[in-house]
Amino acid sequence: MKIDPRSHLPIYLQIAEGIRAAVAAGVYRPGEALPSLRTMAIQLQVNPNTVQRAYDELDREGLIYCQRGKGLFVAEQGTSAAQASACDTVRKSLEEAVKSARAAGLDPERLRELFEAAVDGASQTRSHQS
Amino acid sequence: MSTNTPDGPAIELVGLSKRFGRTLVLDHLSLQIPRGSTFGLLGPNGAGKTTTIKILMGMLAPTAGAARVLGMDALAERLRISQVVGYVPENHHIYRWMRIEEVIGFCRSLYRSWNDETCREMLDLFALDPRKKVKHLSKGMLVKLSLLLAVSHEPEVLVLDEPLAGLDPIAREEFLDGVLRTICERGRTVLFSSHTLDDVRRLADTVGILCNGQLMLHGNLDNLLTTTKRLRATLVDGRRPQALPAGTIYERLDGREWLLTVREFSPEKVEQVRGQSGVEHVEVLDIGLEDLFKDFVKGQRAAK
Repeated sequence: MKIDPRSHLPIYLQIAEGIRAAVAAGVYRPGEALPSLRTMAIQLQVNPNTVQRAYDELDREGLIYCQRGKGLFVAEQGTSAAQASACDTVRKSLEEAVKSARAAGLDPERLRELFEAAVDGASQTRSHQS
Repeated sequence: MSTNTPDGPAIELVGLSKRFGRTLVLDHLSLQIPRGSTFGLLGPNGAGKTTTIKILMGMLAPTAGAARVLGMDALAERLRISQVVGYVPENHHIYRWMRIEEVIGFCRSLYRSWNDETCREMLDLFALDPRKKVKHLSKGMLVKLSLLLAVSHEPEVLVLDEPLAGLDPIAREEFLDGVLRTICERGRTVLFSSHTLDDVRRLADTVGILCNGQLMLHGNLDNLLTTTKRLRATLVDGRRPQALPAGTIYERLDGREWLLTVREFSPEKVEQVRGQSGVEHVEVLDIGLEDLFKDFVKGQRAAK
């Protein structure tokens, strides 16, 4: 996970996003413990209060849960919740892309071509890797 | 008398002014830093950051007003304060002829709460050789030794004056690591001044911008960044409208492009700009800490 201190995006949201992505990808699995506040703060080089805020956010979303005295764990439905949220993020960035395409005067047909080329390009790279 | 109540602020400045000759460096500065928070003090060169810190450490007397640390008066109770505060100054006054272990032995005798284990941990973390003489240390090692001495007596408050200036990336990372370990201990309060905005963004939960001896902007860092926006408007004939939205901290006209940096952003403010004659198109942009800081300082200078 990488933090970008220059981004306008609050760091706690960057951390929450990073953990969601890690859960969606199976880096942390349901029932497994997340790194402690201290470990995460030192590893990411950010204030522990900021990590706490990210954990609170994910707790509210039901992605993780807190067990008193034991730490934080990925919830049973964590993986699907993280994937749903990843879906949401992708939709938002697509909407942004569509908005800038419209501002630049691209017609919908051209936009669809671009989108399909991007999807094909990505799946080709994937089959090369496997 | 000290009023060190557990829920009182860790650091408190009340109407603090400092004059050097004819120059007013601090002008009725007031600030409260709650316990357990990490406060980043920002400001252009000469804004009064070091002066503020020196007053807090009892090294300078204020011209007017008061500075308190954990409820104690910074000047009258500076010896008691020094027992519970760790201080990393801008320039490190450590005896150059001593070996690291001798400096540690010397400082250990000054503090009732010295913790050998913390000291040992920091020596390992920073890979400092106790046999080495201070005069043979690089700048990075000297800053790390200074931090080690500041935290080994388990202070309640840590004060760092431009701690990361001039450190290479590795030394910087190790230093941040040491500071974060200290912050992670419960209830520790940290005040640090810095120019390195990336590090402020990482470490601080609250920031204040010092400008012309006053605290101009103060608040939770994430809130400041999410409520401050930049508006980019296109002007039909390049003539700037008269009215500015409330909370405009900086504006610049560049040909037909009009840039405004606005605090406490709301959609109504966009409508207000859009509704003026000659404004063709308005776009809302997010802003990072660096631009926020620069726009703020430039706006202050323009206003002067």
